[in-house]
Amino acid sequence: MNSVSRQSIYILILSAFLLIFVLIFSLKFLIPYGKEYRDQRSQLSFARADLRRWKDFDNETFARLKELQAENRHIITAFDSSFSEERFIKKYKGLFNSLKLSKTTHLDDNNGFEVYEVTTNSQISSPETFYKFLDEVNKSDWIIGVNFPITFKRNSEVISSSFKMKVYCNGSSNAKDSNSSK
Amino acid sequence: MKYSYIKPRKKSILTPEIRLVLAFFSMTIFMLLSTYGFLMYKDKMFIKDKLAIENEKIRLQQNTKDIESKILHIEKQMNTSTKVFTKNSVLRDSLKNLFDLVPQRITLTEAKLLHNGLTLYGITPNKDVYNFMLQAPLRSIFHQTYTSFYPAKDGWLRFVSTNYMDDETDKILEDTDSISPKEEKKDE
Repeated sequence: MNSVSRQSIYILILSAFLLIFVLIFSLKFLIPYGKEYRDQRSQLSFARADLRRWKDFDNETFARLKELQAENRHIITAFDSSFSEERFIKKYKGLFNSLKLSKTTHLDDNNGFEVYEVTTNSQISSPETFYKFLDEVNKSDWIIGVNFPITFKRNSEVISSSFKMKVYCNGSSNAKDSNSSK
Repeated sequence: MKYSYIKPRKKSILTPEIRLVLAFFSMTIFMLLSTYGFLMYKDKMFIKDKLAIENEKIRLQQNTKDIESKILHIEKQMNTSTKVFTKNSVLRDSLKNLFDLVPQRITLTEAKLLHNGLTLYGITPNKDVYNFMLQAPLRSIFHQTYTSFYPAKDGWLRFVSTNYMDDETDKILEDTDSISPKEEKKDE
């Protein structure tokens, strides 16, 4: 009679235990965690792609901001400058025989900007001077709009003129936005 | 009494074959546990990375929003300044046109430019000269034109010309964001 040795029985029992352990462990832990691993990995790669898109968009927006800042440096600086009567007179007195500013009034905020109204009295030798002033004022250190009423009155050889100017500058809330850094 | 010539050897359950099998089994279990540990570790890392990516995304979104608000502000500044500069340029051209409108024979002494009107003071040799050479072009520009004449000492006539544009025209012009041609100004 061919009897099974005790050693073979031990090996058989051990193998059975291992098989059961491997099956239970795989079904209970490895397979669910493996699935989760795969899901997490695909979610992460999606999140990375999304982040890359946001980074590209952020870089494009920042480049656009820099471009706008470079193109409009004069305008941005002009809006940031607070109006100085002394500087204005010093800059433009050459165009006028005499130039006086008075009544600087703070008007209501306009479209997010603070607006000051300045009444100006001056004497000019010819209307050409006033045209030149209107050209120059567009290149000035401030954003200035010449406004009505405008009066010209002949006074012997000179023309007395008076007009109003509106000076636009950033409101306090906008001032901090004007200089940007990433 | 002895039944065998050899000494009995001690028998152990851990025979070399079973040891080999056990070693193989241990290695299998070790590999299983390692895989499990790897999955657990990666799972935690993925969650951590996802959180970091999410935070970075929120930071980028906030940053982009800030940049966009700055761009918006600059665009607003551009629009406002363009409007102001255009207005100044149009005013200059209008003034030029107005002064060119005044004929040599008429002398202006005063000009008042208002938001929707123009008042001129001056001297003319006679009414006809004024009517044909100044009033006609003024009428083509303004909706309402009134003129008063007063005799001057030298036989000429002093005149006061008051010209207005209708408010509706102003509104239309304001709505279209154009610069009001009410600036048909003058001086001498």
